[in-house]
Amino acid sequence: MLEIVRFAVVAALLIASVVLESFAIFGVNRFRFALNRLHAAAIGDTLSISCVILAAIVYTGFELLSLKYFLIVTLMWMTSPVSGHLISLLVVKTDEDIEKEAKEWKN
Amino acid sequence: MKKSSEAFKNWLLSGSDPLEEEMIETLSDDAAEEKQAEEASPRAKKERRSLKQYLYDSGLYRPVRILSSVALCVMLIVMLMATVMDMPYFGQADTLVDSEVSEFYVKHTLEHTGATNIITGIILNFRGFDTLGESHVLFIAVCSVIILLKMTPKEEDPFLHVHSDDALDRKLEKDLILSSLSRILFPLILMFGVYIILNGNISPGGGFSGGAVIGAGLILYLSAYGYKRIQRFFTYKTFKTVSCLALLCYTSSKTFHFVTGANDIHVPISLGTPGTIFSGGLLLPLNIFVGLVVACTMYTLYTLFRKGDF
Repeated sequence: MLEIVRFAVVAALLIASVVLESFAIFGVNRFRFALNRLHAAAIGDTLSISCVILAAIVYTGFELLSLKYFLIVTLMWMTSPVSGHLISLLVVKTDEDIEKEAKEWKN
Repeated sequence: MKKSSEAFKNWLLSGSDPLEEEMIETLSDDAAEEKQAEEASPRAKKERRSLKQYLYDSGLYRPVRILSSVALCVMLIVMLMATVMDMPYFGQADTLVDSEVSEFYVKHTLEHTGATNIITGIILNFRGFDTLGESHVLFIAVCSVIILLKMTPKEEDPFLHVHSDDALDRKLEKDLILSSLSRILFPLILMFGVYIILNGNISPGGGFSGGAVIGAGLILYLSAYGYKRIQRFFTYKTFKTVSCLALLCYTSSKTFHFVTGANDIHVPISLGTPGTIFSGGLLLPLNIFVGLVVACTMYTLYTLFRKGDF
């Protein structure tokens, strides 16, 4: 019984991560402005990867290996937003039409 | 006369003089007018539209192209998945029974080198000279980059060295979020790199990967805190000393190995108990030397391409 539940949870998490990652890919290719694309990529960077790692944690059970998986998630959640923040700063500083783009996005 | 010399100096030190600014302004005005004229005429509009059609392919064949690219992607995914399904399972005993060389390595690496990580045993013992050449290639690459990109210090040539450290640090605009994150992350990254290097002979990793981790950590420190902070412990002199000493030690220890091994002399260094850090004879020091060279190389390449100096 427990095995079936575990399998179901792992499968659900993996499917969720695949769906989220496909959202991210779709957004990266579909959005027109760099900041929007950055937002779409951040979904894949944080939520989707954490779903995969969570699936791995559930699959291995709670032991030392799952602690290491958890460390991976922590590192990703610490570093990915910071790198996104830096890239967005760069976009704001170097993009010449940033105000026009912001206005267009708002409307 | 004095004024013109001042203008020249100003231009050399990357300032701008008023005449130049005026010229740039008039130029941009002309460009804007031209653009307006172009937009007004219908022919130019048509040309632009056809260019857009050509570039973004919004014409007749668009659905065909999209469908074919999707089909190609699906084919690639299926092929890769089939390859992965066909691979042997992790830790299977009879994985590579056909290949004589790999069988020899798998069976005899532990007794010959004392390394539980077979890959380290191969690249630092059986193929030690190959790795020696690789680390020298890294060193030569850095040397050529230094020859091409390194700027002369300010005292020797006042005109070549335009950007001072302060200006660059100001351009960096130290980011509060990045610096407070790297306060936590930098020690962890360095520690992880040292762990990878020291455990090179007993677990996956080794000099190259650990050195790359340490070099990336140094680059993070530089981007978070600026040049002044990192110059406290890493300068051009540090790079020269560490890199050359590590390469010299590597070469001498490998020469020792070669002489004793080739002439069948008894090697006084014992292999130790496999699985502990101090095992595998010369593997641990060799790993450390390679790691030092790789870390210095990575950081030096980054800083030379960014600023032209340390």
